[in-house]
Amino acid sequence: MVVPAIVLLLVFNYAPLFGLLTAFQYYDPPAGVWNSDWAGFDQFRLLFADPLFWGALRNTLYLGLVQLVLFFPIPIALALLLNSVLSVRVRNFIQSVVYLPHFFSWVLVITIFQQMLGGAGALNQFLRSHDLQTWDITTNPGTFVLLVTSQVVWKEAGWGIVVFLAALSAVNPGLYEAAAVDGAGPFRRMWHITLPGLRTVIVLMLVLRLGGTLSVGFEQFLIQRDAVGHETAEVLDTYAFYYGITTGDYSLGAAAGLFKSVISLLLIWGANKLAHFFGEDGLYRR
Amino acid sequence: MRPELNRRSFVALAAATPLLAACGGAARQKAGTNSRAGLQAALPSHVPSSPVKPDIPSVAGGAGAATDPAFLSYPSNQAATVQGTPGRGGSYTAVTPLWGTVPPAGNSFYEAMNKALGVTLTMKPADGNNYNTIVPTMTAARRLPDWIQLPTWWNAIFDVGGLAGTQLADLTPYLAADKIKKYPNLAAIPTGAWQTGAWGDKLYGIPSFSSSFVIAGAVFHRRDILEARGITAGQVRSADDLMNLGKELTDAKRGVWAFDDVWTYLFPAWDVPLTWDVRDGRLIHKYEMPQFFEALDWHHRMARAGYLHPDAVAGQNANADTRFYSGKVLISGGGTGAWNLTDHQSGTAADKDYRRGAFDFFAADGTSAPRVAMGPSTNVISYLSDRLKPDQIEELLAVADYLAAPFGSAEYTMVNFGVEGVHFTMKDGVPTATEDGKKFVQAMTFPFLASPPAVISNPGAGVVTRDYAAWQAANVKSLYKPVFWNMNISMPRSLSGASAAQAVEDAVKDCYHGRTKVSEVQAAVSTWKTSGGGDRLKQWMTGNVLDKYGTGQ
Repeated sequence: MVVPAIVLLLVFNYAPLFGLLTAFQYYDPPAGVWNSDWAGFDQFRLLFADPLFWGALRNTLYLGLVQLVLFFPIPIALALLLNSVLSVRVRNFIQSVVYLPHFFSWVLVITIFQQMLGGAGALNQFLRSHDLQTWDITTNPGTFVLLVTSQVVWKEAGWGIVVFLAALSAVNPGLYEAAAVDGAGPFRRMWHITLPGLRTVIVLMLVLRLGGTLSVGFEQFLIQRDAVGHETAEVLDTYAFYYGITTGDYSLGAAAGLFKSVISLLLIWGANKLAHFFGEDGLYRR
Repeated sequence: MRPELNRRSFVALAAATPLLAACGGAARQKAGTNSRAGLQAALPSHVPSSPVKPDIPSVAGGAGAATDPAFLSYPSNQAATVQGTPGRGGSYTAVTPLWGTVPPAGNSFYEAMNKALGVTLTMKPADGNNYNTIVPTMTAARRLPDWIQLPTWWNAIFDVGGLAGTQLADLTPYLAADKIKKYPNLAAIPTGAWQTGAWGDKLYGIPSFSSSFVIAGAVFHRRDILEARGITAGQVRSADDLMNLGKELTDAKRGVWAFDDVWTYLFPAWDVPLTWDVRDGRLIHKYEMPQFFEALDWHHRMARAGYLHPDAVAGQNANADTRFYSGKVLISGGGTGAWNLTDHQSGTAADKDYRRGAFDFFAADGTSAPRVAMGPSTNVISYLSDRLKPDQIEELLAVADYLAAPFGSAEYTMVNFGVEGVHFTMKDGVPTATEDGKKFVQAMTFPFLASPPAVISNPGAGVVTRDYAAWQAANVKSLYKPVFWNMNISMPRSLSGASAAQAVEDAVKDCYHGRTKVSEVQAAVSTWKTSGGGDRLKQWMTGNVLDKYGTGQ
C-alpha cells in the first residue's frame, strides 16, 4: 500500500536533490551537470555579496513571521467556533464557504482583491463617486504585509481548520458532560478540556509552520511584485526566479534555494528542540 | 483561430529583452559573432516571388526598411506552388511554443496536414509562458525533438550559439548561395531573416514571419473615442502634447484613465536606443544616456499626475486588453502584431464602434526627426536536430518549403485555414473558420516552423488592413538600423546577469509607475555598472564585438 507513496517521494523529492550539485558549479544546461565547470563556493560568495539577496531574506523573514503571528491562531479559533455550532447543516454550510477560497488560484484571489480594493476597484470608485479621499491599499508598500496576510487568511484559513477539527473530534465527549455536571461554563470547558486536547496538534503544526517560514509563497509575491516594487515584495523564491531562472544563471538560483532549505531545516530543528524542551511531542515523541 | 497573438507576444517580449535577444552562447563556446565574409558565404540567395499582387504594395523606407504588403481580399484562385507531396513518408516530432489553448493531438487538421506534407509530423505545441523553462531541460538531456522553434529573445537562455553545431543541424550545405533554389518558397524569404538564424558563420535557422518592418511596438489609442471628441492622432507631435492629452482624457470618477503602460513603446521618442549605441566610436549603453532619464522623468510625472490606470500601476497586465476594449483606458502600448483581425473582433464585441489607431512616431521635443530602431528581421526561428541524417534534413526542408508557400497559394490556405468545408468555408470571398477550424487550426503550430514573409491581411476586416498599412507607410521613414542589428552575439554565461540588468529594470518599473524617483534609478545604474557587471559587459562588447566586427549597420 505504501509503495506508490514511497516511489513518489523518491522520484519527486529525493532524486531531484541530485540537482543541488549545480549550486557548486557554473552550470550550463547544454554542457550538462558532468561537463559544467566546478565553482566551489563561488556562487554562495556572489549570493552573499548581493545586497538584493539580503533584502529578499529580510522581506521573507518579516513576511513569514507576521504571517505566523497573525495567521496561525485563526484556523484554531475558526475550528473552535465551528465545533460549537450544534446544527450539522449550518456547520457544513459554513465549513464549505470557508473552504472554498482554498481552491482558487492565486491569480484569481489577487484579481478579486484588486477588483474590490484596487485603485479602480469597487471601494475606491465608490469613494470617488462621493467625492471622498481614495484609499491606496493594493499598491502601498507600507501596508503590503497586512494585505498579503489578509489574502492568506481569506484563502487558507478555512482549509487550515481541517486538522484541528479532526483533533477536536478525538476529544472524549464524556469529559464535557462531566465538566458540565460539575458546573463548568463554556469558557472553562474550552480552557480546561478543548485546548489541552488540541495542544499536541497545535505544537506539531507550529513546528511545521516554523520550518516553512521561509516558504512564504511564490505566486502571491510574483504577481504582486510590480504593485509595490521589488524592495517590498522580493522574497527568496522570487529572487531565485528572477536572478536564477530568467537570466539563465541557474547555479545562483540553486545556491539561493539551497541556502533557504538549510535555514528552514535549522528552524524546524530548533523549533522541535524547543518543543521537546517544554515537554511536548513536537514532530515525534522522544 | 488567433493568427496574430503570437506576433504580438513575441514582438512585445522581444522589446522587453532586446539585449537578450541579441546575444547567446556559453563560456566554453567561442564567444563572438558572425564575420562579414563568412556570413556572406553561408547565406542563401534571395529569389523573390509574388504570385498574388497586393492591394496595397510595399513602401520602402530608409535603411532597408519597408512596409509589409497588404491584401484586402483573399484570392479565390489559389495556385499551387509545390508539385506533389514534399515528404517521402518519414516520421518526425516538432515542438513549438503556443500562447493559448493547445489543440488535441491527432486532430483532423494535423491528419490533413500530414497527408498534404507526405510525412508524419507529430506536432507537440508547448505552453509559451513556460517555454523558457521547458527547452533547457530538453537541451540538458540532449533530447531536442527533430524540429524545434526557438524564439530569438530567448537565444541567451537557450544558448542557441552553443547548441548550433552540437545539437542543431548545420543547414549551410543544403541552403547556402544558390543551393536554396531547390526550395523556391524558402528562397523567397529575404536574406536578412536568414541572418538571424546564422551562428559562427554557418546557417542553422529557418525563419518565420520575416518582415522589413519589425519594431518594438507602437503607442495605440482608441481612434473611435478620440475622433468622437475631435482629437486626431496627428495632433500629438511631442511628449508635452501627449501629456496634455492624458490630462484631457483622464476622468477617474467615471473610471476612465488615459494611459496603460507605454514605457517600452514610448521611450524611443527621446532618442533612446533599445540597448546600445555608438557615439564618437565609443560604445554607450542606454542607461548612460541623459535622455534615458528624461524619458523616465516624463513617465514618472505622468503616473504621479494620476493619468495611468491603477490596475497598470498594480502590475495587473493580464486584463489590459479588456481595459482597452471597454474604454477604461484610451492609450496603450503594445507590439504591432496586436493590430489584427482577432483584436478587431474582440474590440467590436465589446464596443461596436471600436477602432484601433496608433500615434505616428514623434520626437519628445517635438522638433527633431523621430527615429525608431528596427528589430531583427524575425523573432521566430526553427531549427533541425543534428541527429537527423542528410536525407531526412532534405525531406524536412522540402516540408519547410511547403509551409513557406506565399500568401494566397493553395499551400498557404491549407496551412493557415485547413481543409475547405471541414475547417473553413468561403463566405463572401472570406475564409471563415468552422467550429473544427477554430479548435484545431492554430497559427502557432505549422507556421511557427516555417512561413512566408509577413503580409497584412485580415479577411473580413478591411478597415484593420487599411489602417495598419497606412500607419506603416506613414512611419517607415523613421526606422533606422541600430548598432549590432541582426548580429547574433554569443556572450559568456557569466555576463547574462549583467546584460539582463534585472535590478535596474525593477527600479525603472518602480519609477514609471510613480513609486520611486528618477534619482533612485540613477543609483541602481551606478550599482549595476560597478558591482552588477555593467562595466564588464561594456568592456566585453567593445573588445569582442565592436572592435572585431564593427556595428553591423
